Amino acid sequence: MLTQNDLERYDRQIMIHEIGKEGQEKLKSATVFIAGAGGLGSSISIYLAAAGVGTIRIVDHDTIELSNLNRQILHWNKDIGSKKACSAQNKLQTLNPDIEIQGGDETITEENISRLAAGSDLIIDAMDNFPTRYILNKYAVDNSIPFFHGAVKGFEGRVMTVIPGKSACFRCLYKGPVPEEKSPVIGVLPGLIGCIQATEVIKYITGIGELLSNKLLLYDGLEMKFTILKINRNPDCEHCGHLTIQEDT
Amino acid sequence: MSIKVHIHKSHRQFTDGLSVVDSNGKTVGECLDNLIKRYPGIKEKLFDKKGNLLNVIEIYVNLESAYPNELIKKVSNGDDIYLTAKLSGG
Ligand SMILES: [Zn+2]
Repeated sequence: MLTQNDLERYDRQIMIHEIGKEGQEKLKSATVFIAGAGGLGSSISIYLAAAGVGTIRIVDHDTIELSNLNRQILHWNKDIGSKKACSAQNKLQTLNPDIEIQGGDETITEENISRLAAGSDLIIDAMDNFPTRYILNKYAVDNSIPFFHGAVKGFEGRVMTVIPGKSACFRCLYKGPVPEEKSPVIGVLPGLIGCIQATEVIKYITGIGELLSNKLLLYDGLEMKFTILKINRNPDCEHCGHLTIQEDT
Repeated sequence: MSIKVHIHKSHRQFTDGLSVVDSNGKTVGECLDNLIKRYPGIKEKLFDKKGNLLNVIEIYVNLESAYPNELIKKVSNGDDIYLTAKLSGG
């Protein structure tokens, strides 16, 4: 049930025909798990908190460093040396005291993902490495909840939405391990890519619009170009190959 | 016969800065061989020493994923091949 305060705080989005009070109530009832409080995690969490997503769990094991601050806008100069999970929780709760923020200072592993993501309606990828993304994707597929992938490098980003049982999953494109690298990133890039992921999350929760499922959105900031590529489900996929695909009616 | 190969930004240093290179061949693999003949520097950015496509490289034909078995995927006149690289940053 929306309070008078909710009606005022979210007035401009409740005014959107596709959202309305019903959509706002869905956002309020939702629980989302954001894996990472870095560049992507900053913009995703700020906008989902501002949009009134009722429960936001954000997990990151890192400590804030000076070199994070060109892009990780949740963390400020005064936070250097603090844990990202703690900084994220404080900032997001200050931004919106009407929702529940749960910060977790942990490394996401195959062993703890069930506990960390328990009760979440969906999982949002704000990680900086492939192995953890595959842990998240597998958990999402196994538990039939969506996985919202995003990644960045330089001026280039990508976004893909996985609806298990309906679309290709993140593992469907797997060819083998890729060497880990430290990615150069222009600060605005994870801001933009995170906002696209957050848009997908809002659309999913409220049941509106068309998702980036079976699609990979590529963004090239230097040429200011968005390209949508078609992704096919891999029937031999280690994560989702066993699922029967339901066609939309 | 002309197939356009769209070169990823990180590989354009090997194609004289060109973002699109005209190639030809009956398959994606043949088109890439043709590309490498003209721009040999790009080879090690696409293939390992055994000639397998690197895990980080993704290939799309006419905006659709060519995975799996990308190299034997048939192409015809006017097709577009896009070379992209997986991203891991967050
Ligand atoms: Zn899959």
